[in-house]
Amino acid sequence: MANQKPKKQELEKHEVEGAKEIGKRVYEIAENIVHQIEHEHTPTFSTKVRGLSNVYFDQEKGFIQLGDKTVTRPFLNLGAARKFMQTVLVTEKCNEYLKHSKTASIREIYYELKHTVAKTNENTFDGQEESNDVIVDIEHSVSTIREKLGLQADPKGSLYGDITLIDRKHNNDEFSCKNLGRGGWSIMSRIEPDEIEIKEVNADFVLVVETSAMYGRLIEENYPKKHNAILIGTSGQAARGARRLVHRLRYEFNLPIVVFTDGDPYGWYIYSVIKSGSMALAAHSKFLAVPDAKYVGMTLTDVEEYGLQAVTEKMKDGDVKRAKELMSYDWFKSPAWQKELKLAIDKKIRIEQQALANKSLDFVAKKYLPEKIDNEIFL
Amino acid sequence: MSNEKTTKQETQVSKDGIDANVLFSEFKEHSVADFFKKNRQMLGLYGKQRTLTTIIHELVTNSLDACEEAGILPEIEVKISEIGEEYYEISVMDNGPGIPENKIGSALGKLLAGTKFHRLVQTRGQQGIGVSGIILFSQITTGKPTKVISGTSKERAVSLEITIDSKTNSPKMTNKVYLEKKFRGTGIKAKFKEIQYKKGQGSVDEYLRRTAIANPHATIVFQDPFQEVTKYERIVKTLPKIPKQVKPHPRGVTVDELLSLARYTSARKISSYLMLTFDRFGQTAVDSIAKMIHFDINKDPRKITWEEAEEIVSAIKKTKFIAPNTNNLVPIGENFIEKSLQTIVEPEFCFVYTRKPSVYKGGYAFQVEVAVAFGGNAGRLVSVSSPKAKNRKDSLDDQEDTKEVRVSEIIRYANKSPLLFDAGGCAITKTVQSIDWKRYGIHNFESAPVTVFVNLISVHIPYTSAGKSAIADEEEILVETKLALMDVSRRLGRYIIDKKKEAEKLEKRKVFAKYAPEIVQALSRITGADATKLQKNLDKMVLEKLKMEDLEDQKQKAKDDKIEEEIEEEEDLVEE
Repeated sequence: MANQKPKKQELEKHEVEGAKEIGKRVYEIAENIVHQIEHEHTPTFSTKVRGLSNVYFDQEKGFIQLGDKTVTRPFLNLGAARKFMQTVLVTEKCNEYLKHSKTASIREIYYELKHTVAKTNENTFDGQEESNDVIVDIEHSVSTIREKLGLQADPKGSLYGDITLIDRKHNNDEFSCKNLGRGGWSIMSRIEPDEIEIKEVNADFVLVVETSAMYGRLIEENYPKKHNAILIGTSGQAARGARRLVHRLRYEFNLPIVVFTDGDPYGWYIYSVIKSGSMALAAHSKFLAVPDAKYVGMTLTDVEEYGLQAVTEKMKDGDVKRAKELMSYDWFKSPAWQKELKLAIDKKIRIEQQALANKSLDFVAKKYLPEKIDNEIFL
Repeated sequence: MSNEKTTKQETQVSKDGIDANVLFSEFKEHSVADFFKKNRQMLGLYGKQRTLTTIIHELVTNSLDACEEAGILPEIEVKISEIGEEYYEISVMDNGPGIPENKIGSALGKLLAGTKFHRLVQTRGQQGIGVSGIILFSQITTGKPTKVISGTSKERAVSLEITIDSKTNSPKMTNKVYLEKKFRGTGIKAKFKEIQYKKGQGSVDEYLRRTAIANPHATIVFQDPFQEVTKYERIVKTLPKIPKQVKPHPRGVTVDELLSLARYTSARKISSYLMLTFDRFGQTAVDSIAKMIHFDINKDPRKITWEEAEEIVSAIKKTKFIAPNTNNLVPIGENFIEKSLQTIVEPEFCFVYTRKPSVYKGGYAFQVEVAVAFGGNAGRLVSVSSPKAKNRKDSLDDQEDTKEVRVSEIIRYANKSPLLFDAGGCAITKTVQSIDWKRYGIHNFESAPVTVFVNLISVHIPYTSAGKSAIADEEEILVETKLALMDVSRRLGRYIIDKKKEAEKLEKRKVFAKYAPEIVQALSRITGADATKLQKNLDKMVLEKLKMEDLEDQKQKAKDDKIEEEIEEEEDLVEE
């Protein structure tokens, strides 16, 4: 495996702009609306259109990008009035967090803002989805990520290996993720350099693992040390923090990224998100996507190769449908992936990472991964 | 037809040469009771609930007709008391003209069925068996006499008991007492078995409610067996015009009728008999018929044979006649129906339409009146149990899990008389169901809070069967009913759509109004802007926006109205 360590990539301007700049943009949302009302223009709020109609796959860059379409939400529109009100409320909170250098989880902001609208029996927010949605609107409106708005998602995912971090927001704690015990470090939702500094990495590659059980198995087998790997467990679909960390390790430390998931459409989509970004965060792909991430397994070829026919599972109708969707994605158009997906659809079977235990518990760490990674048997 | 009517009516009958007593002399040899038992089906006296409703129908109809013919605004009291299992006492009392003492026997104590075929006049009682039939039915089921009190404006009021000798079809009166109290009207009190009082569809309650709707000039009081009293107060103080009796139009005549009528004519020749007896029968028609028959048209009409009558009828069918006179129909009237529905049904709004008279089968004049009442208390109240109740069998209080909802009802009338039974087979029901209600803003007709009112008026109602509770599919009647229904539902549709828009507007104002303070407060906290001023501006903008939408709506409505008018014009053309 390639092993040269490149210089740190320069961070994009967007990522390093300070809280002050973002605070100004948030304030401007409110200022604009006030201006509109004072001049008796219908108050409106504009943001980028998200979803299929405004995302595209950038062939050159190799990841999903957001288009330029914007949507304007006028208050004096029956369908938009409630959301407009919610947007103003969230804007006020973000403005407050930024002013006082506070952070809140997206669940906290939901509870902070939830109350009964005066003289009605209606809540400002009915469920966290409503405030989450508005947060994404504001992120896109001021072209930033929620972490810069003083908001954070729940941390999800774990990091293990010979990597030394400094938590700039917490006593400048310095620690190496190889001696935090078997669980490793819990990945924060915000992994920007001003919060989490990556001081040193001693590894040849990063292995991203879908299930926490496999993450635990590989640590127990001492795989990271033996194979000079950084281990990231995503516990299902990778959260922003984990993706941002993967992205930084790839571009700041030039480490190859290898993804290891279940051999089913869900697992493959986890790989797809790490590699090419997601539709929901299309605007931030360039800080999250790793187009040259490699996929090690599980594949249906593995089933033949390692004689795992007896431990495959049946795919459900939903899985088959999902596989067909994957086949249509631009970034799955390589002949190898098309072949793999077709095989899955034809055979209607899936294979889990843990199925390798059928051979023996240490099979994955001693034979499967070393054999495939060393020989670069990637899909 | 019932012979309990006033003297005036009896003379009318004899003027037409029909002597009821002669007609019914053939019944004398038979047991009238037997006749009754054999023909219960035909008389509407089957089914315990239906029988009870039929009894009430006969008595109430009789009272209404008597009052109207005497020019008295009717006040009718109906009382049902339970005196045993499926054993009831029924009394109906009116403020009508009463029956002169010497006529009580002949008016109430003689069974007289069948003469109605020869009397062409728009009456409620067309399907009737008469009060005498009811008295006989009481007698057959209980063996008890019927109590009658009657007082006229001239004579002292009298109370007596009456039974009918079913062998001789003659009345027997006993216990005659003169009342001290001054009284005008007729009261009839009789006991019945083999009947049952129930609420709901087909009930006496429903019958009287519908009767009250079609007779806004009447006050009707009803006391049910639980001593609950329902009172329908008089809504209008105008008596309906009395429908005139008309001569039968030749188009509808049957061989049997031709023969029966010929037997009592005063004419000496067939030609004059035809011209005297039938409407629109002139010399030209007589000449045309004379050419088609194989016997002398100047023959004595009393001597026509069955075969000759057949020849005449088939000749009539080949002859052209002017359509019958339609001036003798008396509709309830749009205003009165509307007032009735507003008062009794209490809908949110209603639309009424009385069509112009028309003719079916070439010989019978008829007219259709329809109304739709929507929202409010319109429709029929039904209890539905929520799915919860079904699952919770252990629930002690079932009441909580059932709720009452309003569903659509079709109230049918023939000559203002409610038709409560055989709804499915009735042309009115079918026509109502053939309307594309979705087009008029009612997405599910069955479960909509709507009362559809249809009154068919005719000197001869075409019933589907002897039960006389459903109207037959006569092409012209179907078309008229449908056109009338389309007219009212179009108006209904427009109303519903307007109402929806109005509600939307109100909703909009509310929506903007409730969110505005939240927005203004937050903005003021962020920027320090003056909250009062922001609120004022925002309120102003909301009002302006709504005003602008109003203007657009009005433009759109003007456009829609124009299109509607065009559609209506087209339909009118089709009609012609």
